[in-house]
Amino acid sequence: MLATLTTTVGTIVLGATEAGAESGSEELNPLVKPSPGLMIWVLLVFVVSLLVLKKYAWPQITAVIDKRQRAIEERIEASEKAQAEAQALADEYREQLTAARAESEEIVNRARRSGEQVEREAVEQGRKTREDLLEQARRDIEAETRRAVDELRNEVAALTVEATAKVTRKSLTADDQQRLLDEALGEIDFSKLSGQGSR
Amino acid sequence: MKLRHRALMAATPFVGLLAAPGLASAAEEFKPDEEFDISEPLIGPHLELFGIDFSLNKAVLYVILAGILTVLTLVLIARRMQARPNGRAQTVVEWAFEFVDSTIVKDNIDDRKTARFWFPFIATLFFFIWISNIIGYVPLPTNTHHTFNVLGADIPSFALYAATANISMPLILALVVWVSYNVVGIRRKGLVGYVKGLVPSGLPWWILPLMYPIEILSHFVRLISLSLRLYANILAGHLLILFMGGGLVVLLQPGLVGAGILGIATAAVGIVFFLFELTLVAVLQAFIFSTLTAIYIGGAVAEEH
Repeated sequence: MLATLTTTVGTIVLGATEAGAESGSEELNPLVKPSPGLMIWVLLVFVVSLLVLKKYAWPQITAVIDKRQRAIEERIEASEKAQAEAQALADEYREQLTAARAESEEIVNRARRSGEQVEREAVEQGRKTREDLLEQARRDIEAETRRAVDELRNEVAALTVEATAKVTRKSLTADDQQRLLDEALGEIDFSKLSGQGSR
Repeated sequence: MKLRHRALMAATPFVGLLAAPGLASAAEEFKPDEEFDISEPLIGPHLELFGIDFSLNKAVLYVILAGILTVLTLVLIARRMQARPNGRAQTVVEWAFEFVDSTIVKDNIDDRKTARFWFPFIATLFFFIWISNIIGYVPLPTNTHHTFNVLGADIPSFALYAATANISMPLILALVVWVSYNVVGIRRKGLVGYVKGLVPSGLPWWILPLMYPIEILSHFVRLISLSLRLYANILAGHLLILFMGGGLVVLLQPGLVGAGILGIATAAVGIVFFLFELTLVAVLQAFIFSTLTAIYIGGAVAEEH
């Protein structure tokens, strides 16, 4: 049984065919004997296939694959560009934000400074107004005092003239009267009255 | 969803027919190498021209089918492609396209102009080999040694086959690559410059007679390694699937109960190998073949060896 197998396998692999041995010829096993007709057929089929594929298959497949590759490259480039643009935009915004923050700080500072100035000016103004008012009041008081003194003097003079006339039963002439009066009043010191207001 | 339904409906007859050849031919003698025999044309008569057999055998039909599927898939998807991805097919093709463009071509060919020039060649190689490998795992009616009768017509049994599991296809592709990179190297550097570039510069003169035979031999070995790697990997995968998927049971004939146990066990292993080959090896071998192509072209035009 095993001998049969060994013989058969040996026959095929080693190439000494039973058929060849029977006919007595020294022909090779057809398995390892090149057949020129088949070789020419193969050559013909291969060359025709090569020519047809070279014209109708390889360029088309290459074109599609190249096209896709280009499309992918373009998309990658576009996305890189978009990313760069976004980065630039972000940088710009960040710069603007920094500038805006500085500006707002500046504005606040300026406002504070001007507020302080206004306050100072208002205080100054108030002080001045108060002083003016005081001055005005002082001047008014002085004038009023002077008027009162004059009025008092005239009253005293008139009273004196009346009293004198009653005592002397005699009326003085207008000139005498005035003269006497001025002398008498000259002796009276009113400086105490007016001095208090005009100090 | 719709696409998946359609694919399932299309796959159903294949799944059903996959079981057919085993049932039909269990009584006949099982010869595994018949699965890879291309001496009989599958369609039409023997076509011979100048002593060369051009018959439409299953390998030729697989190659033509692979060519048509490669061109149709890529052209249809290229026509429907949009800058905005629509659909999974576009995503898969774009992934594969970018993979070929950057990992296979640009990583190995430093010169941008050379890379752009050789991209269609390397990309076509990659997709052509990949799709050839993949349809190698779809059962198709290719086994003329065993037929089954449908309404009076003899239909070849469904079987797995791959054009890449025949040395001819990897060999001619490797030959095209080999000629291409040598020609591009000579055109870039001139014959003298190219021959000089075969060995590292700055070697003492007396070592050159030793180096040249080795380097030139290594270039010829590339031809063999490039083709054999693809061929042997795909063939090994198909042999494994063949033996696991019933071949072992037929050969060993372990009796009814033994056949049941062995059949189930090997079928499970076969499914694992099938998925492994379909999803990984198919694309891996295409990747290795086209990457080596790019490395050879890149090396041929590179300034220093």
